Amino acid sequence: MKARKIKRILIANRGEIALRIIRSARVMGIETVAVYSAADAAAAHVAAADDARPIGAAEPAASYLNIAAILEAAHAASADAIHPGYGFLSERPEFARAVEQSGIIFVGPPAEVMAALGDKVAARRIAINAGVPVVPGSDAGDLEAARKFAASSGYPILVKAAAGGGGRGMRVVGEAAGLAPALEAAAREALAAFGDGRIFLEKYIARPRHVEVQLLGDHHGTVVALGDRDCSIQRRHQKLIEEAPAPGLKPVLRERMAAAALTLARAAGYRGAGTAEFLVDGDNFYFLEVNARLQVEHPVTELIFGCDLVAEQLRIAMGERVAEPPAARGCAIECRINAEDPAQDFRPATGRVIKLALPAGPGVRVDTHLEAGTEIAPYYDSLIAKLICHGGGREQARARTAAALGEFMLLGVRNTAAFVREIIASEPFARADLSTRFIADHFPHWSPADRDLHEALIAAALAANGMLGGAAATGGGGNRSSATADGAAARSPWTTLGEFELWGRR
Amino acid sequence: MKLKRAGEAREFEVEIVAREGAALRVRIDGEEIAAEIEAAADGAILRIGGRHVRIYGARTRNAIFVAAGPAAWEFVAVEGRAGRARRALAAAEVAAPMPGKVLRILVAEGDAVAAGQPLLVLEAMKMETTLYAEGAAVVKSIRAAAGAMVDHGAVLIEFSPAPADPSARESDPPAA
Repeated sequence: MKARKIKRILIANRGEIALRIIRSARVMGIETVAVYSAADAAAAHVAAADDARPIGAAEPAASYLNIAAILEAAHAASADAIHPGYGFLSERPEFARAVEQSGIIFVGPPAEVMAALGDKVAARRIAINAGVPVVPGSDAGDLEAARKFAASSGYPILVKAAAGGGGRGMRVVGEAAGLAPALEAAAREALAAFGDGRIFLEKYIARPRHVEVQLLGDHHGTVVALGDRDCSIQRRHQKLIEEAPAPGLKPVLRERMAAAALTLARAAGYRGAGTAEFLVDGDNFYFLEVNARLQVEHPVTELIFGCDLVAEQLRIAMGERVAEPPAARGCAIECRINAEDPAQDFRPATGRVIKLALPAGPGVRVDTHLEAGTEIAPYYDSLIAKLICHGGGREQARARTAAALGEFMLLGVRNTAAFVREIIASEPFARADLSTRFIADHFPHWSPADRDLHEALIAAALAANGMLGGAAATGGGGNRSSATADGAAARSPWTTLGEFELWGRR
Repeated sequence: MKLKRAGEAREFEVEIVAREGAALRVRIDGEEIAAEIEAAADGAILRIGGRHVRIYGARTRNAIFVAAGPAAWEFVAVEGRAGRARRALAAAEVAAPMPGKVLRILVAEGDAVAAGQPLLVLEAMKMETTLYAEGAAVVKSIRAAAGAMVDHGAVLIEFSPAPADPSARESDPPAA
């Protein structure tokens, strides 16, 4: 294929991944164009890009999923390439097709490859034809076929969306009575999330590990694998902690899985960065799906291979060849920090970042778009920051992650940082006793320890009275605790707070 | 003062008993705890039970935000009279815990609901969140319609007390 140069790239995304892509493009001397919804006019990715274009209202359908508006912005800004990031339009073949047809380079696989792999039912067929093991399952999602499959395989079974991802439209069905409502709910959720309500069924494997292989394919028919990642620690079928390499796999299993991933990618004619996902159950592995895009957890692979996967994507898009990767070095762990309340079943939290402190130090990387004042709106994904730590071995990576999480502080929006720190520090995680049931097994109905609760309540009592220095948000008013010294203590409100009522209206 | 975590029913009674210099004595739900507090350039350092942790706090009109180490908290103050009223009735109303879209309403006006009963399904951040009854009550009015976008804190369902039933008059249910 003819080499094509990218001079100016539009990033059809927001948040940390938009910033991440802007950084790699800038290093390569490529100009960047951000797009933003009405909710993101002041967002970090808008400020970071060389140019920025509004594309519509806050709702994703009006902006980040609005193909016409994004193409219009790309033409208006003279962009010669579009990077879709992950989520949003990244796996919509119609977007890839529309971009290429308008004469702009799409940074990702060709539309038809994406269409074949993005449809999980079709992807299963590709895998079966390539001789790659798949989880026993059924293509058909109607009630009659589902009953037949369940009767032959036995419960529990898993109901999944053909167009799905990120756990949306996925349901575990434990018994026959739950089948019909689960099919209905999964189809409704899938239709709402992906505009495609088709579903399929799989035998439910109780305690599998989720292991995936990073792939890079170029326009010249070369596909290489960049090791594997374990992404078993999930909540609501969404990844929370990922690491590379997947710990404790027998070398023969690792090699067979990498070979299967390469076979699949070659069979599908894959180009660009992609990931083949597998379930590992003992010494067996089963193909799950190919994600035809950059993954959220790509940094753990970057840290152990010392590479920049976004830069690799851009080079591939420009027609360059991929090289065999160097040997991996050490271990890396990523923790996703989500705007969710871990003590309330990971319910989404919104709000404004009042104060933020990010960790640093050797082997510590933070990918985030957050800054003081950032508004966390309800329209978009709850992922707000990723902490990625690299170590010479898994134990060093784990210790660095735990220490770095201790330094993380976000005032104003409930989030999962304290929860993931407990997981990282836990004995089962240290032993790498990993399965997708990890949280259900070891941290069910998690709530903060009493000592943490006490610290928080004391801080709240101080803050309520405007006595926690430096952080009054709106008219917090009042003394700084440092001012209350010696003789002043006698007059201090501390001694007279018994009947105090905040905003009291008796 | 009485505090509860946003979205939860459990209340905590927190009282600053005394403070002399850095020494702080606090009573939490009747248990007295000794701590030391030192103002930092930003926030403060709290020494408690042999540990020390950086704490930060901010109050807004509706909430008290706290960060203690990596843990982020959101408390709301329970006001005196409302607090008393709410103890008789686990919660007088259900408010949206976040902005979002009302997907389904699972109860009707006049329904008697039990603690833990699903009431309403909200969608935010591409996830469905079900709101449950905190205690036994009767649905007095429904103030949101399916399909409507609601703001954080918007009252969605109002309750009146359940008919006299000793088992339903138990105080706050455990936090969900």
